[in-house]
Amino acid sequence: MTTSVPVDVRDRESEDTGDTGPRDVGETLLEVDDLAVEFRGDDGVVRAVDGLGYRVVAGRTLALVGESGCGKSVSSLAVMGLLPPAARVTRGSARFRGTDLLALPPARHREHCGRHVAMVFQDALAALNPVHTVGYQLTEALRARTGASRRDARRRAVELLDLVKVPHAAQRVHEYPHQFSGGMRQRVMIASALALDPDVLIADEPTTALDVTVQAQVMQLLAEIQAERNMGLVLITHDLGVVAGVADDVTVMYAGRAVEQAPVRELYEAPAHPYTRALLRSVPRLAGGGTDADGRLPVVPGRPPAPGRVPSGCAFHPRCDLARDVCRTDVPPLAEAAPGRSSACHFSAEVLGGARG
Amino acid sequence: MGRYILRRALLGALTLLIVMFVLHLLTTFAIQLNGNPALAFFGDRVPTDAQVAAVEARYGLDDPCYDQTGNPCLGPFVERLGSYAQGDFGTDLRGREVTDIVATAAPNTLKLFAVVTVTWFVLGMGLGSVAARWRGRPTDHGIRMSSVLIDAFPIFVLLLVYRYVFAVPLSGWATSTFGADSMAALWFRPSFDDDHPWATLLVPGILLGLAGSAAFIRLVRASQLEAYTGEHVRTARSRGLPERHVVVHHVVRNSSVPVVTAVGLTFTEALAGAVITEGMMNIYGMGGVLWEAVRASDVALVVGVVTILAAVTVVVMLVVDVAYAALDPRIRYA
Amino acid sequence: MPEPTTPEVAAAVDVAAGRSLGADAWHRLRRRPDVIVAVVVVAFFAVVAAVPTLFTSTDPQRCVIGDSKIHPQGFGATHPFGTDAHGCDVLAQLAHGARPSLLLAFVVVGASVVIGVVLGLLAGYYLGWVDGIVSRVIEVFLVIPLLLAALLLLSLFRNVHVGSGTFDVILLPAIVLTLFAWMGYARYVRASVLEAKNLDYVTAARALGASDVRIMLRHVLPNAVGPVTALVPTAIAGVISAEAVLAFLGIGVRPPAVSWGIMITRGSEWVTGGYAYLLLFPLGCLVLTVLALVVLGDALRDALDPRLR
Repeated sequence: MTTSVPVDVRDRESEDTGDTGPRDVGETLLEVDDLAVEFRGDDGVVRAVDGLGYRVVAGRTLALVGESGCGKSVSSLAVMGLLPPAARVTRGSARFRGTDLLALPPARHREHCGRHVAMVFQDALAALNPVHTVGYQLTEALRARTGASRRDARRRAVELLDLVKVPHAAQRVHEYPHQFSGGMRQRVMIASALALDPDVLIADEPTTALDVTVQAQVMQLLAEIQAERNMGLVLITHDLGVVAGVADDVTVMYAGRAVEQAPVRELYEAPAHPYTRALLRSVPRLAGGGTDADGRLPVVPGRPPAPGRVPSGCAFHPRCDLARDVCRTDVPPLAEAAPGRSSACHFSAEVLGGARG
Repeated sequence: MGRYILRRALLGALTLLIVMFVLHLLTTFAIQLNGNPALAFFGDRVPTDAQVAAVEARYGLDDPCYDQTGNPCLGPFVERLGSYAQGDFGTDLRGREVTDIVATAAPNTLKLFAVVTVTWFVLGMGLGSVAARWRGRPTDHGIRMSSVLIDAFPIFVLLLVYRYVFAVPLSGWATSTFGADSMAALWFRPSFDDDHPWATLLVPGILLGLAGSAAFIRLVRASQLEAYTGEHVRTARSRGLPERHVVVHHVVRNSSVPVVTAVGLTFTEALAGAVITEGMMNIYGMGGVLWEAVRASDVALVVGVVTILAAVTVVVMLVVDVAYAALDPRIRYA
Repeated sequence: MPEPTTPEVAAAVDVAAGRSLGADAWHRLRRRPDVIVAVVVVAFFAVVAAVPTLFTSTDPQRCVIGDSKIHPQGFGATHPFGTDAHGCDVLAQLAHGARPSLLLAFVVVGASVVIGVVLGLLAGYYLGWVDGIVSRVIEVFLVIPLLLAALLLLSLFRNVHVGSGTFDVILLPAIVLTLFAWMGYARYVRASVLEAKNLDYVTAARALGASDVRIMLRHVLPNAVGPVTALVPTAIAGVISAEAVLAFLGIGVRPPAVSWGIMITRGSEWVTGGYAYLLLFPLGCLVLTVLALVVLGDALRDALDPRLR
């Protein structure tokens, strides 16, 4: 069913975009460092992302987790160069194999999109163009950028639909997005992101708009494709439950910053930040222990701060059960809490110890 | 698609039928309130009863229902539909066939519309796209201010000022500079010349196009802005497509759907504008004929021309509906 | 120029803007000098139309043939703006001519807004056969352009006798123009009703047993007010210029009443004879009023539909 992707697609335009060939497992593909994004409105400046950093490695999946408004989508739009006009990157870098994408002129930055870093959006109905056929959209980039012929493009479109397991691919390439079901549409979305065989795929809440049963299938598909092609996958989600099954590494975000970074298994076993701990407790579990004494599911108290009204000190302190005076005044740096993992909490050792003990 | 077109065509035919009935009711009502339009035939002369009767018979006004206020006169309406079906739209007061008049006048109106359409397209698509592309920049503000200014000068005012203030000195200047037979002298000639239809239609056509372009500029800008903020544009950009490709295939292409729909609506306005333009610039077109018919109280001619124009409008709206479906697959497969 | 809008982005932009749409619109309008000037101009001409005697004590109908075609003499003199071919005072005519022009515009737009809103509301809310009928009627009236209809009807009814009171002179054009001017509002209202009808709070109100009338007035109509309001100034401007066209054809406001349109018509005959002021004064008033209204309409459109800014 799944067809391997012919490599010739990548070769034609490889000289000028710094393509360095196939991916090695463990190779660092994308490295985001100290990224800050600001929005300018009529009522002043709002900082949506503030000093975010993460690393995407070939063959691994990184989950960016956080509540809505924490800056996880904005940060990935910044990497893609797709920020709205009101927003701009004020600090930081996003290096793809050493090239800082954010320092490139917009047209050069655009050339990296799709080929090196591609993106899957949440709402496939809105994100696909309603007036073009699915086949056209799947191979639009291929035809516009590599000059592939109409016939080659159609063959490739069918291949791509097969790859994401859309049945009757040969007929369905001639249909329009509104004729597909929600799950099938998201598969088309994924297929169109894969058209140029990107090294890094950023999936922004790829399953949020779908039915629960379909969610699992799409997530499974993403995981398979990622493993098969040795891609780096960035999975943006607000759902820690989704993360457990597919991610290798997790970056938890709060109010525009990374508050904890750890391999997924270790993070689940023993969170090193009170926010992560609270999030994990609010994930429902069948096998007992997840609920509190009354049999109720604990929730994270309070609400995430609106961007622009971030509290002083540690942004999480108003909702934190460990908050002390120092949390109100000093911003905790993201520091190593244990080998291979870091946390931005003044008391990360305490949280980690409490969870283990 | 076929069924959609058929359905639209049937609805269009129904609309046209109702339009004709409404026109008929209004004329009937006017005749009943107003007295006999056949009297206008005689101008200031006082005709004999026999003469009136003869004229009434000729224009189909001899039915007694025209003397009973409130009677819808269905009989004459059916008769008129019958003669319309045979291509007989009646005659004007001088006895000339309405269809004959329209046949000679329509080509000039079509030429005028060609100039208007080109002006619209150039100004509307051009300036609208530029304003949307550089939204919020000085260019955008300039274009929006111009569109407001254009709106402040309705076609009537534009033509009035052109005809009475600018045309004479301009044509004098063109004649003395380039000679009386030059193209430039024809362009600025204040009235229509049947031997040089294109040259003498040019300036009035551009003015009419200019007057209607403001709404068009705004519409193109608004629908392109909406397309620019569409998520599918973001997707296209994320695939690494060059900005020019994105603008053409995802912004302009998608914004063409509302623009085409609006062209159907603005058509009727352009038609009204053509009546004013042709009337004021003495252009022998459908509008000019109508304008003169109103001045001469030639009711039969007015009704005939308005009916024909209504039929044309219905056809244009049908074409727009089909184009709409062709451009938007969501309509086509609904 | 990428401009995506994710909920997250929208939230970030809207942060400090906790104002309602109406308050926000007002806030923005106040800061635009062109809007303030436009309001002043419209208010000025409204006052002229309401109380013309404030600006001139001369009777526009008192014309002395011996004083014909006097050039403008400047303020303080007997005929500040001069006299026309019949020796009538131009300033007096301008001031008194504002009333039929503006009154006609307000009456036509007011009546067509009412008709359009009611029909659009009914069609959008009940759909089914009500919508079928209303939509067909809209289409029928759309097929005949406003001006064509006005030409036809006013020439048909040209000889019908009406009185000479303030309303009587504008009665016929008012009826005819209203008859062919309401469809735009009906379409807009119908569209926004369709949009609002499926909103959750409307469904909730219905589930709680609110009556149709209450739902329409309290929940659905407010959504439609915005787009309709933005149409009004431009529509008034349109009627003012339509009056001038009708006057030019001799089927608008009836003489001996004067309107700007009638003055423009008469003035245009004298331009080449060296009496351009006879055209330029009434034309200037018309263009100024129309420009002010168009600026207002544009500002309203902007303020009420922030996406277009």
